[in-house]
Amino acid sequence: MRKSTWNKQGWIIMGMVCLLWFSQQAAPVSADGKQDAYQYSYWGDSVPAPAAYEATSIITGKKVNAGAFKEPSDMHVTADQRVFVLDSGNGRIVEMDRNLKLVRTIDSFERDGKEEQFNNPQGLYVSDKGDLLIADTDNQRVVHLNEQGQLVKVVAEPKSDLLQADFQFKPVRVVMDKGDRIYVMAAGVFDGFMEFSADGTFSSFIGANRVQVDPVEYLWKRFATREQRSQMVMFTPTEFTNLDMDEEGFIYATSGDRGKDPIKKLNAQGTDILRRQGYHYPQGDLMYTNEAGPSRLIDVDVGDSDMYSVLDSNRGRIFTYNGDGYLLHIFGGIGNRLGQFNTPVALERAGDRMLVLDKALGEITVFEITEYGRTLHEAVRSYYNGDEDQSSVLFAKAAEMNANLEYAYAGIGKSLLRQKDYAESAQYFKRSMERQGYSKAFLLFRKELMREHFSWMMSGLFLAVAAFVTVVIVRRQKRRTTNASAK
Amino acid sequence: MQAPSKQLYQYPLHLIFHPFDGYWELKYERNQRTTLLIACMIMLLLMVTKILHAQYSGFLINFNNPKYLNSLLEVLYVMIPVLFWCVANWSLTTLMDGEGKFSEIFMSTCFALVPLLLIHFPWIWLSLVISAQETAFYYFSNALAVAWTVYLLFVGNMTVHQYTPAKTVLTMLLTLVAMAFMAFLCLLFFSLVQQIVSFVVTIYQEIVLRG
Repeated sequence: MRKSTWNKQGWIIMGMVCLLWFSQQAAPVSADGKQDAYQYSYWGDSVPAPAAYEATSIITGKKVNAGAFKEPSDMHVTADQRVFVLDSGNGRIVEMDRNLKLVRTIDSFERDGKEEQFNNPQGLYVSDKGDLLIADTDNQRVVHLNEQGQLVKVVAEPKSDLLQADFQFKPVRVVMDKGDRIYVMAAGVFDGFMEFSADGTFSSFIGANRVQVDPVEYLWKRFATREQRSQMVMFTPTEFTNLDMDEEGFIYATSGDRGKDPIKKLNAQGTDILRRQGYHYPQGDLMYTNEAGPSRLIDVDVGDSDMYSVLDSNRGRIFTYNGDGYLLHIFGGIGNRLGQFNTPVALERAGDRMLVLDKALGEITVFEITEYGRTLHEAVRSYYNGDEDQSSVLFAKAAEMNANLEYAYAGIGKSLLRQKDYAESAQYFKRSMERQGYSKAFLLFRKELMREHFSWMMSGLFLAVAAFVTVVIVRRQKRRTTNASAK
Repeated sequence: MQAPSKQLYQYPLHLIFHPFDGYWELKYERNQRTTLLIACMIMLLLMVTKILHAQYSGFLINFNNPKYLNSLLEVLYVMIPVLFWCVANWSLTTLMDGEGKFSEIFMSTCFALVPLLLIHFPWIWLSLVISAQETAFYYFSNALAVAWTVYLLFVGNMTVHQYTPAKTVLTMLLTLVAMAFMAFLCLLFFSLVQQIVSFVVTIYQEIVLRG
């Protein structure tokens, strides 16, 4: 009897200890008690930062009266903030207006008088004109519908000498540019994106990833016999995971493996022109444990002013960079709280909101921009538009909210430089670790200083030289006289 | 003979401009004790320079993270290569009919470091007032200092061991290989020691927790 009470108490005590222990472990790092947002400093350390976006609500299929989503895999938001969700499991497209109210669902289209349906579609793109492009994966085709949902064309089974005879066309993601050219990311294609001309004929591949060779593996391969070699993994280029198109028609692409450049911006020739002038190459997380591995980027969304965000499926984080490649902010995560995901698959910006689609849960998390995020974006925007005065004011405001935002100090430095406050400007550039800017400001400061104090500097120098010469002459004279007297 | 205090700086300066004379003097004519003292001072000054350089040199050329600056490590970065070089060189030259004693090798090596000291020290301050374009001068003079030091090492080795130039070059290259070996052995040794220590600690913990 005694023993059993002790047992009970023991369990309770242990439970309490565990609770205390875990509650301590799970406590958020940030001081404001909100979600733990962070940033990477110039030195690559993770430093705390205020949240740029905050999750406000979750949208599910049931909530919008469209029936639950079943494994939705892609999403697109148009310029006027209409939201299209590709509900793959149900083979339909759900359209919502800017207030996230249901407008319509498209689950079939008419082709030659017959009703046709989608089979596990994976990719969706809505052009500026409202044309819908659906990568109808298991039907091995890309369906092009107009705004009313009527068929424009079907792109299927490309014929080309570039393709192997047994080629299986499995489109996964799709975008369309202003000239109605269609770019398709297809499963199992390592040669880049497939480009289709406006009439739906296959024209070429663009933007292939280069093969990345591990030197050690290469060495082993050299020593291996033919049979062994056939057992080994082939050196294949990494596949792309997603693509998006910006206003100017450049394709932004992400690749899943941590290659050299997991994010690319491709021009019409397929050359990577992404600017990487930030403190670190845009790549998602810089610090990671060996178990977790590096970020696996699976979606990219290009906003205005060259800002773009990427989605990391590994830890559910969203990284936003500006056009020069500076990391602006990080938010999101894997977990069970609001603002965290289970299996995030798609990321879209809708004005000031950010939408993240979760495949397993079949829901969209809506993030609203915070004051901090808005200030930062506005600053980047006005700098992009050439309004440097405005941008420096906004950068100063952003830096006030986040002292760890080294990037902002350069903006302040630039404006001080134009206001001819060189010394201050150099200090701000230094704080921002911006060596080029610092050098420019410092050079001007030095010139100014020299000009101001030229007279006494020169006279000082002259006097010093004169004094040195006199000392030398006197000493020589002295030595000569002592030598002479010694003789 | 000049006053000893003057000798302290005049001799190293003489040596770096007239290395053949200087090293000959070092081996056969100089007071070994004073020379050793000078050599140690050179090394000490180089350590100080290295620390100051890491901490205070201009923003444009300083890529050190101030958060992780460790003066003791900076000292080791000077001391370990010099000592490794001396030990490796001595070990080799005893096998290769070198005439140098260990103290001579150490002294000649330290004296060869004088250009590094002379060029790096002013740059700590100069780097504060240069612009990005002018960092080219910094990198150039750095390269110059290294080249000078290597030349002095060469002459020093040749004189101290009484080698032919070809043999000196060979010895120096072999010394580098020997240094690599030593580094490997040291790492091996330390990692083994670490393992032993952790093993003992584990056993101790086991016993304590059981008892």
